[in-house]
Amino acid sequence: MNSLKHFFSAKGALAGIISGYFPRQAQLDMATEVTEAIEQQTSLIVEAGTGTGKTFAYLAPAVLAVENSSNHSEHNQENKKKVIVSTGTKNLQEQLFYKDLPIIRQAFASNLQVALLKGRANYLCQYRLELYQQTRGQLDAQSLTDLVKVKKWSTATHTGDMGELVDLAEDSSIYPFITSTVDNCLAKDCPHLDGCYLVKARKKAIEADLVVINHHLFFADMALKDTGFGELIPQADVIIFDEAHQLPDIANEYFGEAFSTRQIVELCHDVQQVYRTELTDVKQLGKAADKLLQTSQEFRLLFPYDPERGNWRDKLKQARFAQAFADLQVDLDFLYQVIKLSVSRHETIDNCFERAVNLLAKYEIMSKVDDFGVSFWYETTPRHVVLHQTPLTIADKFSEAITQANAGWIFTSATLSVDGGFEHFSRQLGLSQAKQLLLESPFDYQQQSQLLVPRYLPPANDYQRAHALVDLAKPLIEASSGACFLLFTSYRVMNQVANLLAEQISNPLLVQGHMGKRKLLAEFVDQKQAVLLATASFWEGVDVRGDKLTCVIIDKLPFASPDDPLLQARCEDVKRQGGDAFQQVQLPQAVIALKQGVGRLIRDVNDQGVMVICDDRLVNRPYGQVFLKSLPSMKRTRDLETSVSFLQNITCASQNT
Amino acid sequence: MQNQVLFYVLNDSEHTLTNSEVEQELVLYCACLQAAHYYRQHKKVFIYTQNQQQAHAIDELLWRFDADAFVPHNLLGEGTSYGSPVEISWQAPKNRRAVLINLSTITPDFAGQFTQVIDFVPCDEALKQLARERFRCYRQQGSQVNTEALAVNKLLPLLNSKITA
Repeated sequence: MNSLKHFFSAKGALAGIISGYFPRQAQLDMATEVTEAIEQQTSLIVEAGTGTGKTFAYLAPAVLAVENSSNHSEHNQENKKKVIVSTGTKNLQEQLFYKDLPIIRQAFASNLQVALLKGRANYLCQYRLELYQQTRGQLDAQSLTDLVKVKKWSTATHTGDMGELVDLAEDSSIYPFITSTVDNCLAKDCPHLDGCYLVKARKKAIEADLVVINHHLFFADMALKDTGFGELIPQADVIIFDEAHQLPDIANEYFGEAFSTRQIVELCHDVQQVYRTELTDVKQLGKAADKLLQTSQEFRLLFPYDPERGNWRDKLKQARFAQAFADLQVDLDFLYQVIKLSVSRHETIDNCFERAVNLLAKYEIMSKVDDFGVSFWYETTPRHVVLHQTPLTIADKFSEAITQANAGWIFTSATLSVDGGFEHFSRQLGLSQAKQLLLESPFDYQQQSQLLVPRYLPPANDYQRAHALVDLAKPLIEASSGACFLLFTSYRVMNQVANLLAEQISNPLLVQGHMGKRKLLAEFVDQKQAVLLATASFWEGVDVRGDKLTCVIIDKLPFASPDDPLLQARCEDVKRQGGDAFQQVQLPQAVIALKQGVGRLIRDVNDQGVMVICDDRLVNRPYGQVFLKSLPSMKRTRDLETSVSFLQNITCASQNT
Repeated sequence: MQNQVLFYVLNDSEHTLTNSEVEQELVLYCACLQAAHYYRQHKKVFIYTQNQQQAHAIDELLWRFDADAFVPHNLLGEGTSYGSPVEISWQAPKNRRAVLINLSTITPDFAGQFTQVIDFVPCDEALKQLARERFRCYRQQGSQVNTEALAVNKLLPLLNSKITA
């Protein structure tokens, strides 16, 4: 414990490495609690407000635990502790691995073995690359350039991590052809198995003392959703989740089942490819695949053109959906029968056989809509339909996993508590036994920020709403000289406002949907006076520092859409237990979302900004209190002028420096 | 039914009030405290102000209350049509409520609709004169009128801590 205290002190190891480091009591408190959770193998939930330095507060005790365990057992590697750090995003994963971990290792002069493990889609698949080169046909100029880049890099890379290919566009169309999915991976039958980058990365992760993964990988491992998984968690002695507020949603996804027409289409394509190249004698293969492909496309056409989500139980009650869904089974079963006859003639067809079996099993699940304890829902993309079966709660499964693991579990994020408590978070994951710690941000929100709820806004469904929002936004945008986010709960209002603003102001407007998220953010930072318009979910994981972002305008309180199937499932679950779905599900979810937003605005002791919420329910409903008690204590106002002059002061100050 | 009118008489025996503006702010703050008091008793409140500017000042003061003492409120013309627990306006109310807090200098002709009316007698001579007028007026309308003293020197530090916070 003393070594930790010294580590975080003004003359300690951390201060020696990070210039400008200053000790924070909250950081030391958190590190102390983390140490205890690791030693006692208990669970700890920590909300650490922005600026408490939570990353080092969990990394240092974790690394120390590994170091101590290896000192005590020099010749006995069995007792050496293993740490898993899981994050919500790839960005944070990379930041941890390339920035924070090296500092910690240096500070402790540690030779700890560390590894970074990403999802399957991040690694080059040599088999798929080879296949692509053989069958690609005529490529357009862009794809050809991309292919040349990949080829050149593939001969030199050691990790196969596509993240190394920085000059390849994030949305390049080549990605699906050179990476694998759980479905098209040949696994042990693959001729490239020995050199497989994914296998290597996993092996390295299993051997490492500390491995950095993400929540998706964690749950894939826990729910055994991918081959070679189920190996990480049983070995771990310390499991740390950063950005833990995202866990419940991701966990639900992995403990559920999905049946996607994309999987059917990919299966059909692969069968067609084998038929054309290797098994040309089996004409039925081609025919069966063609037929299923068509049925699957017809199934998608039953749903409206625009992507949507909805209740699958309700849809299946309608005759035409029931009929099309039944057709899907007939054709899928036929393809399965045909493939069966060619099994063991080629590795790809064997793989296709397994996939067909798997798809039939999934189909079965989606047809049993009378099952209790689960919700059935669908979502559509422009080309595909995905059917989901989601458990109403995963708390029992998750708490069982925790009990079995014999490890210290740390859950941390800047946004976990609602109204000063962790009930919402711990109920979803079944963490009733966990110790709780709430650490406030060291920032002076009263001085640094304002919360404005403007007066006399027309109601959300008023036809003048977009005009009112524009009239309100203009003086704010002018005062902050761009550096402004406008976030919406609907695409419709976002586009209306974007069109009106384009006519009335000269600032560059960046609108979600016009380009990829990363590009949009890069443009926002690069272009002077830019204004960004996006939907409310956009801000998760967005980090724009300093005076580049001084004003965030939200059109409505971020309650999830009532027809969100996951939300419905949770409400159903709470009601079943006699609870109040609004108080226990919808309200906490919106509170966390809003806290995330405030966290985007103020990132640093010197940051200043205004949060504008164009929703007077915050002022006139009793539940407004829950929001106010959960948010950092910003200076509140309802007067537009007050916020405009606050922004003008920030803008002036930054222009003078 | 006879309605109750309660006048709070500001008592500045120690001369802590420096000018009438501070007194005005103090009256507004007292009105907010009264609104909070009746909200906690689940009684719907209407705050009638002299003008729009004063209505906005009340709105701002209530909005800046500590989160623990939150009072849901709206200005007439925003929020839902049935209004929130506390409604503020310089115009006549549009729905029935239990408590009226009067900040205007006249006696509102709708005062009789409320079972409880709260009003204030400031120290400022001119305003005090107008308050006496209202006092008579309420009586003539048949209300039961009572008074209660408010010690300024005790309230002022509270208000000052609000403003600087």
